[in-house]
Amino acid sequence: MTAFHAQCFCLWMAPRLPHTLLVWLAYYLWIAPKVLLAVLAFLMFRRGLHRQFPMFYLYAVFQIVQSAILWTHPHFDETYTRLFSGGTAVSSALRFGVIYEVLRQLFRNYPALTETGRMLFRGVTVVLLIAGVGLAALLPGKSVSLLMLATDTLNRTVSLLQLGLLLSLFIFSRYFALSLRSHAFGIALGLGAYASVQLATSAVLLYVGSASSPLPNFITMATYHCCVLIWMFYLLLPERTAYFTRRELPTHDLEVWNQELQRLLQR
Amino acid sequence: MIITIIVVLIALLALSCLLWFAKAQASASKALENPAEHIRAVDVEAFRNLIDAGEEEFLRTNLPPAEFRKIQRERLSAAVEYVSCAAQNAAILVRVADAGRRSPDPATAEAAEKLVDNAVRIRLYALQAIPRLYLGMILPGSRISPASIAESYEQMTRQVVLLGCLQYPTRGVQAAL
Repeated sequence: MTAFHAQCFCLWMAPRLPHTLLVWLAYYLWIAPKVLLAVLAFLMFRRGLHRQFPMFYLYAVFQIVQSAILWTHPHFDETYTRLFSGGTAVSSALRFGVIYEVLRQLFRNYPALTETGRMLFRGVTVVLLIAGVGLAALLPGKSVSLLMLATDTLNRTVSLLQLGLLLSLFIFSRYFALSLRSHAFGIALGLGAYASVQLATSAVLLYVGSASSPLPNFITMATYHCCVLIWMFYLLLPERTAYFTRRELPTHDLEVWNQELQRLLQR
Repeated sequence: MIITIIVVLIALLALSCLLWFAKAQASASKALENPAEHIRAVDVEAFRNLIDAGEEEFLRTNLPPAEFRKIQRERLSAAVEYVSCAAQNAAILVRVADAGRRSPDPATAEAAEKLVDNAVRIRLYALQAIPRLYLGMILPGSRISPASIAESYEQMTRQVVLLGCLQYPTRGVQAAL
């Protein structure tokens, strides 16, 4: 996802692929998602979607700015690690904001569920937070530096929380047959896919150590690329709305409903 | 090592669930093409009778305890079926009314809004009532009163008729109103 991931990936792939191809692949996976995000942010602004999803828009812009800053800092030193870790923390916070934005949009359409939903998601957050902290205590992990260890631990805890919240959101809307508008659904799906892969890769990274196995980094970068494509697909296509293909209700349904109503009126 | 493997497996399972949700969302609009096929009849009166406290008391005083427990289990099992049917119908009607909410006619949109609200409440009540009914089957003496489902279901039926009238005025449903 960043120069750090790209560098780790290059180190791992060096003996396996011709150098030129390796460099192109690593840099492609680093740069292409950010270029696509820039295109997405521009089109969102033109279509006014930045007003509908301000947190997601902010997240996209932040990702682009963070990459640009890291790009201008080619040396993988302490300053770079600090910038990367700080950026990861801000990105994680913004992703929580995006999840809150999707939830708020869902409950705005279904006021009857606002209170139940709020209670449910608060409960889920508390349970996941306990699980995340418990996991961090059980599996402290290892890394090249204390800061990278903290970053990977944060990534794992945040991914667990976000994945749990997004899965609860999907289960909740599925049970109540709620319609998540396709824009919000796409954002949630992309974030969920990214959180699930990041949870797996950060767990592996913490077990093996950040620098010793760049394959998880490569998987994270490739997944992020897919997530950006998911966001583009859902946000740039016209919003799909459910509709009836049948123009008239069948007569037998009306008869049943009429009978039911007459029975109720006679009571 | 084992915990890491478990975390990776959980993550992969969650990813599969997300992909399944994406697939289900894509096919959700297809299910709307003929909602009537999926609606199941619910006899509200029979359901009221099954959960009526007076009826339960009558059976308790007139039947031997073993017989009462057996009958009460059967009654509650039937009540679970009714609640499940009502909840399933409510889920279909949420989708039906969701489409109506985007109607340019304010009256239709308002009727659809009310129907969504009520149908969602039925799903919520069902979520609370079904475990209670199962508990009642395990402990036949305990008091269970999911009567709010019956009332909400009746209200929802009225709203469906109203929405039908507003969306399809030429079908003559107004006569019933």
